[in-house]
Amino acid sequence: MEIKYAVTVDDLTVAYNYKPVLWDIDLAIPEGVLMAIVGPNGAGKSTLIKSILGIINPIAGSVSIYGKSYDKQRKLVAYVPQKGSVDWDFPTTALDVVKMGTYGSLGWVKRPGKAQKKAALEALEKVGMLAFKNRQISQLSGGQQQRVFLARALAQNASIYFMDEPFQGVDATTEITIINILKELRKAGKTVVVVHHDLQTVPEYFDWVTFLNVKKIATGPVKEIFNDDNLTKTYGINYKVSVQQ
Amino acid sequence: MSSAQIEIQLIASLVAIACAIPGVFLVLRKMALISDAISHSILPGLVIGFFITHDLNSPLLILMGALSGILTVVLVEYIQKTKLVKEDTAIGLVFPAMFSIGVLLIAKNANDVHLDVDAVLLGELAFAPFDRLIVNGIDIGPKSLWIIGTILLITLSLLVAFFKELKVSTFDAGLATSLGFSPIVIHYGLMSIASVTTVGAFDAVGAILVVALMIAPAATAYLLTNDLKIMLVFSVIFGVFSAISGYWLAHWLDASISGSMITMLGFVFFLVYLFAPNRGFISVLYRNKQQQKEVQLLTFLLHLNNHTEENERHINHLNEHINWHKIKAQSIVDLAEKNNMIVINNQIIALTPKGKIFTEKAIDYIITNDDSKIESMKKDFFLFRG
Amino acid sequence: MDLQEYFNLVFTDYTLRTITIGTAILGAICGMLGSFAVLRKQSLLGDAISHASLPGIAIAFLITGTKDTNVLLLGALISGLIGAFWIRGIVKNTHLKTDTALGLILSVFFGFGMLLLTFIQKMPNANQSGLDKFLFGQAATLLIKDVWFMAIVTSICLAVLLLFWKEFKLLLFDADYAKTLGFNIKFIDALITSFIVLAIVLGLQTVGVVLMSAMLLAPAAAARQWTNSLSTMVVLAAIFGLLAGVVGTGISASQSNLSTGPVIVLVAAIFVMFSFIFSPSRGLLFRQIRFLKNRRDLKLHKTLSFMFDLVKTHENKSHPHAVQILNNFQGYTRGTLKKLEEEEYIKVQGKMWSMTEKGYQFSSNLYNQNIENE
Repeated sequence: MEIKYAVTVDDLTVAYNYKPVLWDIDLAIPEGVLMAIVGPNGAGKSTLIKSILGIINPIAGSVSIYGKSYDKQRKLVAYVPQKGSVDWDFPTTALDVVKMGTYGSLGWVKRPGKAQKKAALEALEKVGMLAFKNRQISQLSGGQQQRVFLARALAQNASIYFMDEPFQGVDATTEITIINILKELRKAGKTVVVVHHDLQTVPEYFDWVTFLNVKKIATGPVKEIFNDDNLTKTYGINYKVSVQQ
Repeated sequence: MSSAQIEIQLIASLVAIACAIPGVFLVLRKMALISDAISHSILPGLVIGFFITHDLNSPLLILMGALSGILTVVLVEYIQKTKLVKEDTAIGLVFPAMFSIGVLLIAKNANDVHLDVDAVLLGELAFAPFDRLIVNGIDIGPKSLWIIGTILLITLSLLVAFFKELKVSTFDAGLATSLGFSPIVIHYGLMSIASVTTVGAFDAVGAILVVALMIAPAATAYLLTNDLKIMLVFSVIFGVFSAISGYWLAHWLDASISGSMITMLGFVFFLVYLFAPNRGFISVLYRNKQQQKEVQLLTFLLHLNNHTEENERHINHLNEHINWHKIKAQSIVDLAEKNNMIVINNQIIALTPKGKIFTEKAIDYIITNDDSKIESMKKDFFLFRG
Repeated sequence: MDLQEYFNLVFTDYTLRTITIGTAILGAICGMLGSFAVLRKQSLLGDAISHASLPGIAIAFLITGTKDTNVLLLGALISGLIGAFWIRGIVKNTHLKTDTALGLILSVFFGFGMLLLTFIQKMPNANQSGLDKFLFGQAATLLIKDVWFMAIVTSICLAVLLLFWKEFKLLLFDADYAKTLGFNIKFIDALITSFIVLAIVLGLQTVGVVLMSAMLLAPAAAARQWTNSLSTMVVLAAIFGLLAGVVGTGISASQSNLSTGPVIVLVAAIFVMFSFIFSPSRGLLFRQIRFLKNRRDLKLHKTLSFMFDLVKTHENKSHPHAVQILNNFQGYTRGTLKKLEEEEYIKVQGKMWSMTEKGYQFSSNLYNQNIENE
């Protein structure tokens, strides 16, 4: 059976201030996988998804989503940025933030209406935050804020989800909520790409993994390639994990 | 040159030096805007001091002015700590309010105060030589010369005495604490010096222009060097140069001396900004272009190294897959060929042995991010030679 | 003229009415657009731009020789924009930090402007060019056509604001995300920045270059304290700005020798101070009260859990214990005992206390919570 690829990245090279961050990355992400991107700090994990999403312009290479350019396929893609990337003291409520997920499908100028509110409320319910919908976002805990961000992406109703460190500094409840939602998304045939740095949980949470350290080290099913050899290649030191399969 | 002219230039130069020294530390500590806040905020202190003493040259004025400068710093830091507003907003709220109080106090008591709004903004350097300090009936020079001279002397001796502490706490606050220098003491010490200097310079150049005398020489020097001592020396030179050339510019235009001094400072900064050898606009632009080419070339070589398949190495693949325009692609290919990195056979590009070694070294450098590795590469390849 | 007289005059005197309407509009637009500046952490950019506009005013006068405000303000706009772009250039191309770039540009441009102003003042035929008013603002020089101009600009800003509200909000909160949704963030960004510059330039005649930035920040900073909704914040900031403009102009006009700028800024600063202290949700006063209450509750809860530990060991929950035992417990005072009795958590009889059913329930809940938290 031929594999259908949700995302393909060809020869992607990115440099910040002409300092290389990603070099000649070729990557194909099959449809329907739950993939972790792992690598040491500064390996370019966030940069990779940011350049797939068009936030950063690469100096070479191309990205396609289901065979077409990102610009044409925007509505198929949802994004959960790092929690620390925004000012949580911004005067707005959880519901308002989640509604932002529907702005892309609305396009310019049009205002969100009942349908958008409904979508936002449903997304909030999925992440267990419906009770907090009118809460100012600074009054939420770190985990709750992360769940609001996830709900915003769910409200986009996309086919491919990119998430930047969604498990960073969250409580146990949030971690379980998030991973259950990720698994549900996979069951529904969606593709999920997560920048992740807790190596211990990779085999438990994900079925696909990409090792990245400026260059792509390896990509494939967790069962086949998540081993000490690849970890050592990625992290540079002699790496041993107690992988609990 | 009359003696009054010489005295004015002397005072202007001393003011410039006295401002440049704390200015260097403010710029390095990313607190340039605090000097803006202080310079505005000393005004109410000065006016209140004047109401008490009715003497514009009383030391109490300097004390009151400096106190209200420090009060502003404390207030800004307090508001920042409450997290009610963002940090820069706190500065932006406090000093206009303080300055307004000062301006209104002057305006309401215009008849009593020999300060007017022009003096607040511009100072009265031109009149400085007429206000003499007379001790036991002997004229020993203009008062402002003595005031700013004293402040400069204090600043200089503190600088010499605490140079090491200032240096360490400016570049590494954590280390300073572990060595036992309290960053808070140094912070408030610096703020106090900045306040006192501002008050002393205020008389000569006015409130807002003090900011320029503090920030501009330091910023200009910072474009030329990273060494703290050299930076201090450069700042002083720029300050004095602008003071003297500014005086003659004002003389020629019959305009404000302090305004001209600042204009000269701005002019010097502009020149350095454009032409500084490593950090100037032009050299940065040039280097960025060079580096962009280097990165592109490396990307290209790396790509060749990664792929053995012929279709990936076909010359037309460059615009398709790597996503480069034809012209850009062609220029990179030419560059690589000129350096004997590649050979083209039947439109299929292959790395030469030299290109292969070079690429491998480059990968090593990229992965380890070790600058020493690139040093040896620079010899092989003209692009890396700065 | 006292304040009472002044307010009577506002309704009868044409000039005064013009000035009052002018400052009201100015305050409103500044408050509105200032909210964006504050939320974008660009508070001090406004300060730099307003100072940087001074040489533009002088050069416009030198070139055209006119005192027409609109021409001078055009000069201000151009030089303000040059200043703003140069700041960006410095930050982008050198290793100088934003604060240095801001301070440098604002003071150097201002110094150059002062050089030109003093040069103009001493020119033989240009006496009383009236450019001084741009330093601290003179609302009295507002003409009806200036007010119309302000009103038109404000309505355009308002219309664009309403049209692109969704996009503005998205950009302010999360620009990268806005980009992934397909919005052209450079366009929105340019729109917001040019509006802020426009508001600054509009205010120069009334508030002056020196204090204009406070006019942008203060109403927005005050408004932020009272609401957690962006739309309410923008409306409130407009109202605060309007009030500061009207009240400030009133005070300034009713006294001799008072420039409008400093008075308006002080009125706005009083709004800020009041908001910082008395806002119910964020204000310092209520924060302090909540803090004290929490500390008192914590003390009560600690004492109660200490008691609970004692009571737990007995079969009979309401078994009486000696008050004396509590003396060993740090933080115990007679006050806490009294307070606990008031809450009906315990009963005190003579020198003995016993826990009530309510108290037992409450403290076992506390106990479980503590375990959960650990």
